[in-house]
Amino acid sequence: MSATETGAKASQPPASGPDGAAGAPVFSVHGLWKVFGPRADRVPGSSVADLPAEELRRRTGCTAAVRDVSFEVRQGEVFVVMGLSGSGKSTLVRCLTRLIEPTSGTLHIDGEDVLAMDKARLRELRRHRAAMVFQHFGLLPHRTVLDNVAYGLEIQGMGKAERRAKATEMVAKVGLTGLERRRPGQLSGGQQQRVGLARALAADPEVLLFDEPFSALDPLIRRDMQEEVIRLHHDEGRTMVFITHDLSEALRLGDRIALMRDGGIVQLGTPEEIVGSPADDYVRDFVRDVPREQVLTVRNALRAAEDGERDSGPTLAPDATIATAIEAVARSGGPARIMDGSRLLGVVDHQRLLAVVAGLRVKGAPA
Amino acid sequence: MTAATTSHSASATSATSTTDGSDGSGGSGGLKSADAPPGALRAAARRPAVRKLALLALIAAVLVPVAAIRWHSGSWPGALTVDVSEPLGRTSDWIIDNRDSHWIFLYFFGHISNAVIVAVRAVYVTLLALGWAGVTAAATLLAWRVAGVRVAVTAAVSFAACGLLGMWVPTMQTLALMAVAVAVSVAIGMLLGLAGGLSERTYRALRPVLDTMQVLPAFAYLLPVVLVFGIGVPGAVLATVIYAAPPMARLTALGLRGADAGVMEAVASLGATGRQRLLSARLPLARRELLLGLNQTIMMALSMAVIASVIGGAGLGDRVYQALSAVDVGKALAAGIPIVLLAVVLDRTTAAAGLRLGMDRDTGPRWLRGWYAWAGVAAGTAAVALAGRAAGSAGWPDGWTLAIAEPVNTAKEWMVDHLYSGVPVVGGTADWASGYVTYVLDPLRGALQGLPWWSLLLIVAALAWLIGTWGTALTAVLALAAIGVLGVWDPAMDTLSQVLAAVAVTLVLGFATGIAAARSPRLERLLRPVLDICQTMPQFVYLIPVVALFGVGRAPAAAAAIVYALPAVIRITTQGLRNVDPAALESARSLGATRGQQLRQVQLPLARPALLLAVNQGVVLVLAVVIIGGLVGSGALGYDVVFGLAQGDLATGLVAGAAIVCLGLMLDRVTQPTARRPKKGA
Repeated sequence: MSATETGAKASQPPASGPDGAAGAPVFSVHGLWKVFGPRADRVPGSSVADLPAEELRRRTGCTAAVRDVSFEVRQGEVFVVMGLSGSGKSTLVRCLTRLIEPTSGTLHIDGEDVLAMDKARLRELRRHRAAMVFQHFGLLPHRTVLDNVAYGLEIQGMGKAERRAKATEMVAKVGLTGLERRRPGQLSGGQQQRVGLARALAADPEVLLFDEPFSALDPLIRRDMQEEVIRLHHDEGRTMVFITHDLSEALRLGDRIALMRDGGIVQLGTPEEIVGSPADDYVRDFVRDVPREQVLTVRNALRAAEDGERDSGPTLAPDATIATAIEAVARSGGPARIMDGSRLLGVVDHQRLLAVVAGLRVKGAPA
Repeated sequence: MTAATTSHSASATSATSTTDGSDGSGGSGGLKSADAPPGALRAAARRPAVRKLALLALIAAVLVPVAAIRWHSGSWPGALTVDVSEPLGRTSDWIIDNRDSHWIFLYFFGHISNAVIVAVRAVYVTLLALGWAGVTAAATLLAWRVAGVRVAVTAAVSFAACGLLGMWVPTMQTLALMAVAVAVSVAIGMLLGLAGGLSERTYRALRPVLDTMQVLPAFAYLLPVVLVFGIGVPGAVLATVIYAAPPMARLTALGLRGADAGVMEAVASLGATGRQRLLSARLPLARRELLLGLNQTIMMALSMAVIASVIGGAGLGDRVYQALSAVDVGKALAAGIPIVLLAVVLDRTTAAAGLRLGMDRDTGPRWLRGWYAWAGVAAGTAAVALAGRAAGSAGWPDGWTLAIAEPVNTAKEWMVDHLYSGVPVVGGTADWASGYVTYVLDPLRGALQGLPWWSLLLIVAALAWLIGTWGTALTAVLALAAIGVLGVWDPAMDTLSQVLAAVAVTLVLGFATGIAAARSPRLERLLRPVLDICQTMPQFVYLIPVVALFGVGRAPAAAAAIVYALPAVIRITTQGLRNVDPAALESARSLGATRGQQLRQVQLPLARPALLLAVNQGVVLVLAVVIIGGLVGSGALGYDVVFGLAQGDLATGLVAGAAIVCLGLMLDRVTQPTARRPKKGA
């Protein structure tokens, strides 16, 4: 059952991509810096700003966790920030709601300047517009599951009956019905994270921020939770910013991925762009072991159709994966036609498909 | 004079420098170490211990001859003392004269004093109004609600026993005094703890003060309080508050500071205000520490409320105190047993409340949960109290008491006749006592009083610096010097000799038992309940059995001190050895080390911090009881305090009290490992 679901999901993000791209940016980040250390505000824009981390620490005693980062998160997309530990991704996501105060740069949510907000306005942002899910859950151990989920509503000043009703609804949404009266200590890691997710959802925020939410979970549970997030996104279309160090997770969930290293963004693009055309050796190294046929689409193996191929053979959508095409080609024994609606874009044959899987540059293929 | 042995060991160096000095030719000590072979010197200089001692020897070489020539060697020079008894006496007289007229008493201390009296009176009257049935029911139901059935049974039996022993009224007096003191201590402790927990700067200012307050013997707090408030209930309550508030403050601060950063961040990310963060997250997250603080505060309040009988706190402590003054062991025991029972009930109830925190208690029928249960406790208490009143017995029925004083005294007479001396082979307890005094205490006291004063300062400096930092060494030396300046050098050396001898015995017994318990789980299981009870009992109670066994004098005080300090030392040693990294032990075993080798080469070295902590705790606890031993004839500083109180000679008492503070500071700093841990034997 999970296999068929996965298949369905795999084709989902690209489908929601186009309408997401149409929306205005939710977060718009430009030239953001976060420097820790003495007189941190002097580092951005100075002559030492471009030094490697080690050199910078030696010269100034400062550590630049986020360096000159710019990106936009579009309405309705899952924006994944991925990088190894220490790359600054967790600091970056905390800067978005100023849990960590950025050192310099600009940061807007729906066009409103976040850095200019006063305390009350910032609280309002945290309460209603952006909710966060944490790696170590951050649940209150002395409260029941229900009261944990209702906590965000409680601090907003919502009445007891109303917030409990809302919380019960959220608990059901994340599949924890029946556990409302338990304490977090009595739940498994996966269940605790579902509580964390329900707590974030309870406030009905515009954006969900995930900080490595599934890193502390077992692989099987992690897969379950990823399904859960994909399902939620599919059902509600909520904008998500998702931090992870797990490349396969990034590729599964992300509409677009920002790959970070040493505080800066190395490459920003769709999973296909990251895997298909890595920006540098670091990224290439990173995506080396990715099963390319699962990520890349048939666009990468396209060639012009020859005369005999226009009317026969299996047909595929242009955003089908290479893996799907391989199956179709292997079944029919001939090339498969790639159709965008009724328009023929071209064909893929076994030679082209194998070349893509092998990572060879194919003559005539679009980059 | 052994030259050039400086390089080898710490003790050799300090011995060289001190013996050199005693000849009045101290200058050579520093020179000779400079004459040492360069290779050995360089090797030695790499060891920090040797570097510290060399520096110290250099300082001593300059200062000691000057001091020895300027003043004489031997006891603390009279020229260096300051007579504080006269100004202190004047202050005390002034306070006594103005207590009823000066504004500071009328409008400040007077109000405090009255408030305390009213509060204690109110609690006492409430307890009496509830009657014995009501109080016992309340205690039992509370214990059941908070800690479960077993503790509830203990509570019921304990309160009944208090009545049976004919001690109902004094028990209620002690409870009333304690209740007020605990309430005030918790309020003050929480406020201080909040300040310390929320502000880094306050915490840094507060911590050393609280640390120091926790190592000072209870007796030190009595006199300043008496000076201001006089003998009576207010003084007793306030002394108790001063003694019992620090653990609440430090644990509150600790708990607030230790709140899970991840949870706090999550709460902030949901848009909580500062107040909401504190009330809905930071404080609840610290519940365990808060309850532990409450537990420690209650136990220390009980301990002090009993001791405060010396300054006019009525109740069980007073009965013990009166009985001990008359060496009436039977009566002392009849009052002592309720103290122990009270301690056990209070400790188990509050400790269980802390342990049950993590568990889910929201099971069972609805009327057993939350506010329903509390209402049930109140209703049950009221019902039983009314029934008791209706039956016409508010006070404990006279016919229901059990006079244990007589049989106990008979048993004690028998012990005096048969165990004091002449027991074949082992001798008698009185023989041991006199042997301990003659062969251990007297020579040690003679040695301490005979040593040149500056050599003691040097030894203290060397020890404190080797174990701790230059800061602790300086504090220790200054504290010791202050004792001399106050003019109580000789009695302080007397007290010190008693402490050192008792600490030595405690450590030998404690380490041996601790090592044995660490190796044998069965022994540890056997010991655990005994240690639990021992660590619960207030210091004062230990004086009763030792007086029965050894009569009065310095030996029973030492025995009480040893018995009091032993549980903590055993426990810390056992835990330290048990917590040694199992991987290190396993690798030693895999290399074929024998059990003895494992102990010597792996466990003991790795458990060094725990062992040092055990020494520190041993010293602090022994000092506390040796001082209280002044009540049973151990003399020295403790006696000065008791004498000052009894005779109204506050100056003598205050000076002795200050000397006790200095001695406590000095002993704590000398044995203080660099990173100290928050730990205090109850």
